[in-house]
Amino acid sequence: MRMGVKEKSKFGRSMMEERKRGRSLLPSTDESSEGEHVTNKKDITSNAASSSIKSKSRSPTAAVPSSSPSISNSKNTQGSKRTIFENAEEESFWKISFEIDIVAVGLFILAAATRFYNLTSPNSIVFDELHYGKYASLYMRQIFFFDPHPPLGKQLIAASSYVFDRSYNGTFKFDRIGSPYPDWVPIFGMRFIPALLGSVMPSFSYILCREIGISMTFSILSGLLIIFDNALLIQSRHILMEMPLISFGLLSLIFAIKATKQLNSNKSLLFVSISAFFGTLSLSVKYIGSFYLAMSGFIVFYCFWSRVVPRKDFGAPQLLLKIGTVYLIFFLTFLATYVSIFYIHLSILTQAGPHDSVMTSAFQASLKGGLASIIKGQPVQVSHGSQVTLRHALGRPCWMHSHLQNYPIKYSDGRGSSHQQQVTCYSFKDVNNWWIVKRPEVDNLAVNETKDVIKHGDQIHLVHGMSGRLLNSHDVAAPQSPQNQEVSCYIDHNVSMPAEPLWRVEIVGGCGGVSQNSEGCEWHAVKSMVRLIHVTSGQALRMSGKQLPKWGFNQHEVVTDRIVVQDDTVWNVEEHRYTKSEKDREKELLEAEMIPTKPTDLSFRSKFWELQWKMLISSGSSQTESHAYASFPSEWLFLSRGIAYWIGGSGTNAQIHLLGNPVIWLTGSFGVLLHLVIVGFYLLRRRRLCFDIDEETWSTLLLQSSICLGGYALTYVYHFCVDRTLFLHHYLPSYVFKIMLMISTLHHLNCISKYSKLRYLFSAILLLWIVFVMYAFSRFLPTSMGFPSLTRSELEALKWNQNWDFIVQSNSP
Amino acid sequence: MQAIGRRSLRNSTPRESPTPENDPLKPRRWVRTRGRLAKSPLSEFSDTDTETEAANQNHFIRPATPKRYSKTFSNSGSNHTNINHILNNSRYANDISYSNSHIIMAKESSAKSGSSKGAQNKTDQTKNKSSGSSSESQKQKSQTSSASGINYNDTHWSWGVFLLILVLGVGTRFYKVEEPDHVCWDETHFGKMGSWYINRTFFFDVHPPLGKMMIGAFGYLTGYNGTFPFESPGQKYNETKYVGMRVCCTALGSMLVPLTYLTVWEMTESTSAACLAAAFILFDVGLLTLTQYILLDPILLFFISGSVYTSVKFYTYRNTPFTFVWWTWLVLSGVFIACAISVKFVGLFTVLYIGFRTIYELWEILGDLTKPITYTMKHFIARAMCLIALPIALYVTFFYIHLAVLNRSGNGDGFYSSAFQSQLIGNPLYNASMPREVAYGAMISLKSQRTGGGYLHSHWHLYPEGVGAKQQQITTYAHKDDNNKWIIKKFDEPAPKLDNKSAPIELIKNGDLIRLEHIVTKRNLHTHRIPAPVTKKQWQVTGYGENGTGDANDVWRIEVLGGKPGDHINVVSSRLRFFHQLQNCILSGTGKQLPKWAYEQMEVSCSPNHRDVRKSTYWNIEENHFPRLPNVSFQVHAPNFIEKLVESHTIMFEGNAGLKPKEGEVTSRPWQWPINYRGQYFSGSTYRIYLLGNPIIWWANLALLPLFAVIYIYHAWKEQRGYEENVDIKAARDKTVTVCGWLFVGWALHYLPFYTMGRVLYFHHYFPALLFSSMLSAVIIDYFIRLLISTVSFLKDNGFFHVMYGLTLSTVAYSFYLFAPLSYGTSGPLAVEENSTMHGLKWLDSWEF
Repeated sequence: MRMGVKEKSKFGRSMMEERKRGRSLLPSTDESSEGEHVTNKKDITSNAASSSIKSKSRSPTAAVPSSSPSISNSKNTQGSKRTIFENAEEESFWKISFEIDIVAVGLFILAAATRFYNLTSPNSIVFDELHYGKYASLYMRQIFFFDPHPPLGKQLIAASSYVFDRSYNGTFKFDRIGSPYPDWVPIFGMRFIPALLGSVMPSFSYILCREIGISMTFSILSGLLIIFDNALLIQSRHILMEMPLISFGLLSLIFAIKATKQLNSNKSLLFVSISAFFGTLSLSVKYIGSFYLAMSGFIVFYCFWSRVVPRKDFGAPQLLLKIGTVYLIFFLTFLATYVSIFYIHLSILTQAGPHDSVMTSAFQASLKGGLASIIKGQPVQVSHGSQVTLRHALGRPCWMHSHLQNYPIKYSDGRGSSHQQQVTCYSFKDVNNWWIVKRPEVDNLAVNETKDVIKHGDQIHLVHGMSGRLLNSHDVAAPQSPQNQEVSCYIDHNVSMPAEPLWRVEIVGGCGGVSQNSEGCEWHAVKSMVRLIHVTSGQALRMSGKQLPKWGFNQHEVVTDRIVVQDDTVWNVEEHRYTKSEKDREKELLEAEMIPTKPTDLSFRSKFWELQWKMLISSGSSQTESHAYASFPSEWLFLSRGIAYWIGGSGTNAQIHLLGNPVIWLTGSFGVLLHLVIVGFYLLRRRRLCFDIDEETWSTLLLQSSICLGGYALTYVYHFCVDRTLFLHHYLPSYVFKIMLMISTLHHLNCISKYSKLRYLFSAILLLWIVFVMYAFSRFLPTSMGFPSLTRSELEALKWNQNWDFIVQSNSP
Repeated sequence: MQAIGRRSLRNSTPRESPTPENDPLKPRRWVRTRGRLAKSPLSEFSDTDTETEAANQNHFIRPATPKRYSKTFSNSGSNHTNINHILNNSRYANDISYSNSHIIMAKESSAKSGSSKGAQNKTDQTKNKSSGSSSESQKQKSQTSSASGINYNDTHWSWGVFLLILVLGVGTRFYKVEEPDHVCWDETHFGKMGSWYINRTFFFDVHPPLGKMMIGAFGYLTGYNGTFPFESPGQKYNETKYVGMRVCCTALGSMLVPLTYLTVWEMTESTSAACLAAAFILFDVGLLTLTQYILLDPILLFFISGSVYTSVKFYTYRNTPFTFVWWTWLVLSGVFIACAISVKFVGLFTVLYIGFRTIYELWEILGDLTKPITYTMKHFIARAMCLIALPIALYVTFFYIHLAVLNRSGNGDGFYSSAFQSQLIGNPLYNASMPREVAYGAMISLKSQRTGGGYLHSHWHLYPEGVGAKQQQITTYAHKDDNNKWIIKKFDEPAPKLDNKSAPIELIKNGDLIRLEHIVTKRNLHTHRIPAPVTKKQWQVTGYGENGTGDANDVWRIEVLGGKPGDHINVVSSRLRFFHQLQNCILSGTGKQLPKWAYEQMEVSCSPNHRDVRKSTYWNIEENHFPRLPNVSFQVHAPNFIEKLVESHTIMFEGNAGLKPKEGEVTSRPWQWPINYRGQYFSGSTYRIYLLGNPIIWWANLALLPLFAVIYIYHAWKEQRGYEENVDIKAARDKTVTVCGWLFVGWALHYLPFYTMGRVLYFHHYFPALLFSSMLSAVIIDYFIRLLISTVSFLKDNGFFHVMYGLTLSTVAYSFYLFAPLSYGTSGPLAVEENSTMHGLKWLDSWEF
């Protein structure tokens, strides 16, 4: 190819032009023939937006299809865009027109047939139903629970179970996977929501594909692929969260794209708001749903940026106002939806329950029963002579504790200790958790009429109630954290080690008002968060988080730490009463009264924020213990591992094993690669100003690529960055994008092969592939539905990958 | 000419906007295009400053002609920006400020005499004349560029400033370099590792070897003999020659200042911006502290800084490709990134950064339609060679040296396989002499063949309540001790005593049933159907029985990989598997860490999966003590270099992943770093040194990052709206956004990934990102001062300019003066107390000085 430069360029140019002329006809013919083809056959009513695309794409001036939020260069195409906007239909904001897409309905019916068929089988707990079913039951009983995931999914399940069977009172114990449901548990009601949302998902996928410019045939194919995927089928048939998550997410994307098509009309505001609403719903099922919300927000923004911002007929202030309005609405919708979901959550769950101890004392006190009953009627102001229990306020719940045992003289690593009385943090209520607050200069502990209230900055002694010894710290290395000081109850061993029992009270975060300044604040039981600063060393009393060995009864270590400002140094008074008289102190301690009463009030706002904070913390401190079926993100690409969801018991091989349709799964992974190659190839060619496909096909491809590939990459790559136990089902949001990405690749291949001989080959391969997909689906159906039971050899034959551990019972046929 | 064809082709595409002639809004846009199509506009350009314009013309006809400030076809994907860039570049070409550099380059190319520095120096003298003439010509030529353009009057290279910066940098770093005379902070690790290089004893560390090797070399060259133990921070050096190592590290660290100056100068051509950036690095007490000690960080930061400089410098030669200087800088930048990643794996982010820059450059070259596609390929291959192949080669070389130097047994042996260890002088396996075959009654140790796997181990501790059966723990443990020793005996009879001379010698055969008895505790290796502590789907392995008698669950079948039934078992080379006779499972060292109750040793379990062919189920006998068999000195199959390299890396990555924070440990979180939330003690008690950034600089960095975002958005908005504005202002902003964009990418790449890391993080991990952040701040400040001067008319005289720079520099310098005691060391009372020299400077409660 070493021609002269001039000749080559001429040659290349004419070649290019010819190619372009040939190809530029492609999309319009494609669209119209496709459209007619389908319209004739099925007589569908396609929605207004897509028909307007067609009309426009035929007009010679429109270079950029309106179906795209224009990836292409904006300035060069301004003229054409103006026409689009002028043509935009002026629709009334208040007029709502209903359209029924028969294809979508058809897909829904087909999907529902697979999802709802024999839904109550198996009639026993399957995998994570253990958790979600339990949470739904707790909703029934209004018992507070703590879960690092947001509550919407569980609320929906509880609601539908309530609707289907009002008599269920939530008393079923979801104790272990496989235990059978008694007939009074509304299992159909509980599984209804995932099944319903799983059934509409193929239609959503179809609509989304249509919206981003994929032809009818391939859009339907995307719906079919979702119907015929075993993993999605399994997830839809049980009380699991993936279907609400993905369905709401897809809806959010659909409305975002709809909004971009009508930027001029007020309807776009409505669509943006709906999009934000569904995005927030998705986010409120699991936080990974925030990717859908973010994508929707970005799609709308990008559309503004590329199509509206360059327009000269808007002034800059007008434009900013418009964008501002859209995002204000977006944000307000998000906020309102998210907060109301939590409002419902917190207003239903009013009873104390097993997870109380995760929350602060103040939060617990606002729940009926539990702590509220204990602290009822106790005085508020901590003063000289107060008997208190000190709770480690944030993080692991435990109470400051001491007992008569001393620190061992020598630790196992050879260091010595002070051999004074141990001070620990104990995770259970105990009489040894009581301490008495004392002014250093006053001896009588009884509280008089005039209370000597402790304020921020006061120096106090803390007397251990049962042993009467003073809380002390000194320059001796702590047992488990040698870099910190030991804390003990002081015993004078006469070894010239004077007591250093003075502690300064520092109240954290102000007196409860808006001001963060703690000067002059009084120390209040339950609500005040305090740090106790050891006066002589300036260090803060801290729960180190380490467990003491046997000599410390495996309780937690308490030390003082140089780093004052940290969560582990915060304490609060939980139980509190005044010492009546000096003599009966011990007797009083032993007779801790327990009177059940009404809860205190805590505002929704502070409860909301506390819950948010705890959820954030607990998702940060991950559960890293491994699970037999946990997998790593890189294993998901090739479906290397499944998850045993349920087994039918001895004598039968009936089981549910989470595995996707291997054919779709593997071709999908290959499709990602193919798509990258195709787009990369065009990008490089275009950089050299070689336009292999016309602008319209290109910008449609880019739009599809950015939504499907973007969504896939976001949801998939994210999992590489988190540090917790992951399972195959975490891949499903990415998987749905992967299916659509594959569809878009196929659609594009179809477009470019349409007028060559290759089209027969392409269609043949496609058909063969679909047959293969169906075959795989039916082969794996028994392990997806849980029936019928397969024999040992059938299961062995199903092991297409040696890593799939189907469970074969030893006494099975 | 080829391009003309393509270009007109592009004109024929439907989305092309109106032609320039009839679009009144864009008068300047098509000038360049017309310039290429027709000659007439060119003649407009080329009437005054002939030297510059000659270069300009050359640009169109022979683009390879040396010329610095015209990117040929520019950077971004869309075509209209191409044109804008060309337009901008034409501005640059005619701008007062940039004309100088044309002359520089023109001189360079024509005269080819002396170094580029020399040429730049010369232009100082010619500056006045040429700028005068070209400004005249500019006024004639362009109507849109008014006198209000932003002037970079000081774009000449100033040796004076550079030398001053250099002297200050070296001076501040070397002041009190020998103090304190005790071990500071991580000197205890890296000093120790340096000693090990000098002593050539093998050790294990999670970082690649170059940094420590350099420390070792520094010590060796400056007379340190490697005997100081570096036990713990605070240990006095006394007679030890530690100063040499400190001086060398400090020397590298002090190079950060001039390198930053050079980098920013190459990026912006503005002496004032370069000065500011250098001052930000110079006056940061954090960097000062971090680069004064025997640590990896000064070395790492030097290489990172060097990589950035060389790649930026390389970019300035983009119009003279494949010349000698071009190759020099390309190779240098390859060398620097290789060094950066060979010091710490954080260098990977630098490699990514250079990678992005390279992709961008290639994208630019690909878009230059005047060049054939093979030209892009040539560029690609050149970069692949110098930035991929060369660094890999260097990296491997460093490892080769590392493994060649460390040829004596040390404390890192146990992490490595038996075969690896047999190469280390002094290791029991080196030239080992022990019985080749294993007999019943032999005292053996078993090593897991999993990479980094330890020895089968047990000790006098039981599994705790709730973790399977409460029997004795079995673990794998990487260090050698007596608890790794086992006696191998027949399944049905006790082993003969080792020193019993009369007992018959019976060799163990492949397929035999055996029991393994732990020598110290006299319990047998045992398993049962109870889930293992971590890997729940495998069975727990315990030590069971009293004085060697257990139950039927102690019986194992020994199998040799690839062995025939009846084969004898060889030490080290036989790969063994232990099948449990009753439970039908395989003994496996899973490599999962057990909690504290097992002293964080590794789990051992019995895997019921027979197809489990992972290395974790294989074991080899490492020690074999049996006096009645003759000892042979056996030659193990020594691993070759590649095998050693791969093994070292697997172990390093596992080590890195294992650095998880323990519960309750206060670890530094990435969000704390940019706000300078909490520092790190280098030296406590009497002579205190505290690693903390200069709060003025750090908080300025923090504030200027959002400001950059604002400028960026503003710029993008203007572009997108297609506003007409003063070309000079636009060009200056364009340039600032480009430069800052790259610096921002550097900052983000060196900072954001830490959020995803589960391992223990420290404050000093932020410092590579800080380099970029400081440079970014300097460029932004410089831009704003210039913008103010050019837009606000009464600030135009030079006085304001100097006042602003004076103010900025003196603020930074004064804050350095205030906080310098943190790094030079303080004694006496803490800052909270009245009589402290640092009183009043504890601005945040979380600071601990």
